[in-house]
Amino acid sequence: MARTAHTVAVRSLTKSFGDVRALRGLSFSAPPGSVTGLLGPNGAGKTTALRCLLGLVRPDSGQAEIGGRRYAALPDPPAAVGASLDAAAAHPAWTGRRHLEIYRRAAGAPARRAAEVLEEVGLTAAADRRIGGYSTGMRRRLALATALLGDPGVLVLDEPGNGLDPAGAAWLRGFLRARAAAGGTVLVSSHLLAEIGQTADRVVVMDRGRALAEGTLAEVAGEHGLEAAFLALTGAGAMEVPQ
Amino acid sequence: MTRLIGVEFAKFFATRTWMWTGALLAAAAFGMTAVVGIAGPTGTPPLPGPDTEDGLAVAIGMSGMLVIVPALVGLTAMTGEYRHGTAVPTFLAAPRRWRVVAAKLAAFTAIGAGYGAVAAAAGGAGIALACAVLGVQPAAGTAAIAAGLARAALAITVYTLIGVGFGALVRNQLAGLAVLGGYLYFIDPMLSFFPVLGPLQPFLPRGATDGLTGFGALAERVAAESGIAAPDLLAPGPAALVLLGYALLAAAAAVALPVRRDVV
Repeated sequence: MARTAHTVAVRSLTKSFGDVRALRGLSFSAPPGSVTGLLGPNGAGKTTALRCLLGLVRPDSGQAEIGGRRYAALPDPPAAVGASLDAAAAHPAWTGRRHLEIYRRAAGAPARRAAEVLEEVGLTAAADRRIGGYSTGMRRRLALATALLGDPGVLVLDEPGNGLDPAGAAWLRGFLRARAAAGGTVLVSSHLLAEIGQTADRVVVMDRGRALAEGTLAEVAGEHGLEAAFLALTGAGAMEVPQ
Repeated sequence: MTRLIGVEFAKFFATRTWMWTGALLAAAAFGMTAVVGIAGPTGTPPLPGPDTEDGLAVAIGMSGMLVIVPALVGLTAMTGEYRHGTAVPTFLAAPRRWRVVAAKLAAFTAIGAGYGAVAAAAGGAGIALACAVLGVQPAAGTAAIAAGLARAALAITVYTLIGVGFGALVRNQLAGLAVLGGYLYFIDPMLSFFPVLGPLQPFLPRGATDGLTGFGALAERVAAESGIAAPDLLAPGPAALVLLGYALLAAAAAVALPVRRDVV
């Protein structure tokens, strides 16, 4: 990893879609050198939070910044932050290689990067097949490869483990841990306790648009474990944990 | 910006659809001008042949009927970003979204012009074939015919941009296809039946297209046969300006809307 990793900082973020209040003052941070897991039940607002961070959704109020800047204000966004939000974000008639080649050009990354990221995510053998024929796991790897094109210091991944088989999940875990160990900032969202429990150093538990707890895995899990803490936090709904 | 325009070309040429679309457009332009040229004079009611001024205008104007094809090319390119979810990696790579859309408009101006040139060449070949089969000389010289076909090519270019802009407006591919196709072939022609809207006809997209391509000759003939009052269409120059106005509106919508809207 060649780039400087920045801290991701979200402060008092609010966002409503019509009558639905998706985010209600969400605050958390994800520092370099660690995997931060954004953990919450379905509909907690995880995806909206990540979309606000990446400038795809405009928050009603609050800030979502990477190294102190909004995503769109970064000098070279794809080189600073790699993101994957939706494994289906690819034209089914293109080959994996063509997809990466197109987004490599869009990111302004060097020509060798397409082949490098294919190798990095283990997709070289399937690179010349049409994406329409890819399994969910292969699409996940392609989405991750797309995020890596700019060789970013920060990775933002929405539910990256969805649809992966056990071997794929183990591979992803190792991959994300290695990025963090090399000094990178890794922010992953998930509704799967086991996935976060095995991958993350830091955990942000969120529900109904706000953070209910934030800290190291041990701090949040406490003596009864992550599941008990998660259920207690989300079951109680508005129960606040001092941050 | 050059980089982003290159990316839009790369996306366009990433599948072979562009080739099939070009082949379809060429075959349709060639077929329409050839069939109208050859069979028109013996049809019921008879149409003027390519050895008359009116006949040439009809043949060239036929290519104006094909504008739905480039419109759908532009529409599909824009709505495809949302349909396949590629709007996300696209906007992540270039978060100043107006630059992405401006690049798309630039690329599709060239692509539309390319399709226009293909359709014009095929239409010219159809006219030449009709003249050869009937053993007649075309009513106008090569330069005049080429100028007419160039106007049809301009219409095709403009409609490509209208497609991109309309795609940005609706985002849903199927809805876009239905609305754009329905408007061009059903609603716009129907409007001429309403006397109040009649005077507007030359300024609506269909009327402006027919004005630009000189399709008025056929329209007037049909109107005379059926007893419907046909509006006077604009001359090619003003008609081109009206159409360009629509393209500018579409381009403005294409740039303004994706910038403001959330990508969810």
